[in-house]
Amino acid sequence: MSREGGFRAVWPWLLFAWLALVIWAAFLWAPAAANFKGQSSRIVFFHVPMAWVATVAFLGSCIASIRYLRRRNMEDDIRAEAANSLGLTFAVLATVTGSIFAKIMWGSYWNWDPRETSITFLLLIYAAYFALRAAIPDPERRATMAAVYSVLAFVTVPFLVFVVPRIYWSLHPDTFINTQGKIKMDSRMFQVFMASLAGFSVFAGWLYSIEVRLERIRRRRQQEELL
Amino acid sequence: MSDLGGIMLVTLIIWAGLFLYVFRLDRKVRRLERGGS
Repeated sequence: MSREGGFRAVWPWLLFAWLALVIWAAFLWAPAAANFKGQSSRIVFFHVPMAWVATVAFLGSCIASIRYLRRRNMEDDIRAEAANSLGLTFAVLATVTGSIFAKIMWGSYWNWDPRETSITFLLLIYAAYFALRAAIPDPERRATMAAVYSVLAFVTVPFLVFVVPRIYWSLHPDTFINTQGKIKMDSRMFQVFMASLAGFSVFAGWLYSIEVRLERIRRRRQQEELL
Repeated sequence: MSDLGGIMLVTLIIWAGLFLYVFRLDRKVRRLERGGS
């Protein structure tokens, strides 16, 4: 087995071990943060990486969409669709974990806090992307409309994720990248947090690659059926 | 076992299940890419 082939076979298991270690450390090694009810702060190790993956995926989809509009290459449409699908999935997961945190901290799963309201808008905007795709039968037209929509949808992301929750008073704790530009985290928590961020990013990249490859196969088969 | 230990164990089981599902899906996609079914 070549060195490259060997690594290709081993890296998923390294990822498995890495995230298993993160899970252990998140619950049993890192301390719970002060000023949080009980052990609720531990959700930060999962909630923030999920939100991070969603934001990066939406950015990736925007870039792929711009490339599609410039080159009209269907490969870019496949990438944009896969990135949005990944982004929406992780945004839902971030919302669910945030909701669990809200229940522990504030006694209710949903409080219509500015951040909860803005994530609801974001979920609806990206869900509409798939509704739009499903509504247009012609592949070229679907790809063009979806690309334009995806670029416009991403314009809202910085506002809904970073601006709106900071303008209004919010129940949400200070974010990791706070206005003072300081990291307010215990060193063990910080290590686990960064390890989780890295693990989630690689796992999301893997999911993205599978989705892109599957979609390529699906479209190739569709074309073969048409011939 | 403490509550935290229990939650950790459940999270680990979810991760193991999710990982195995994605791992098998990846292998299946590789087979399809090579032209298998």
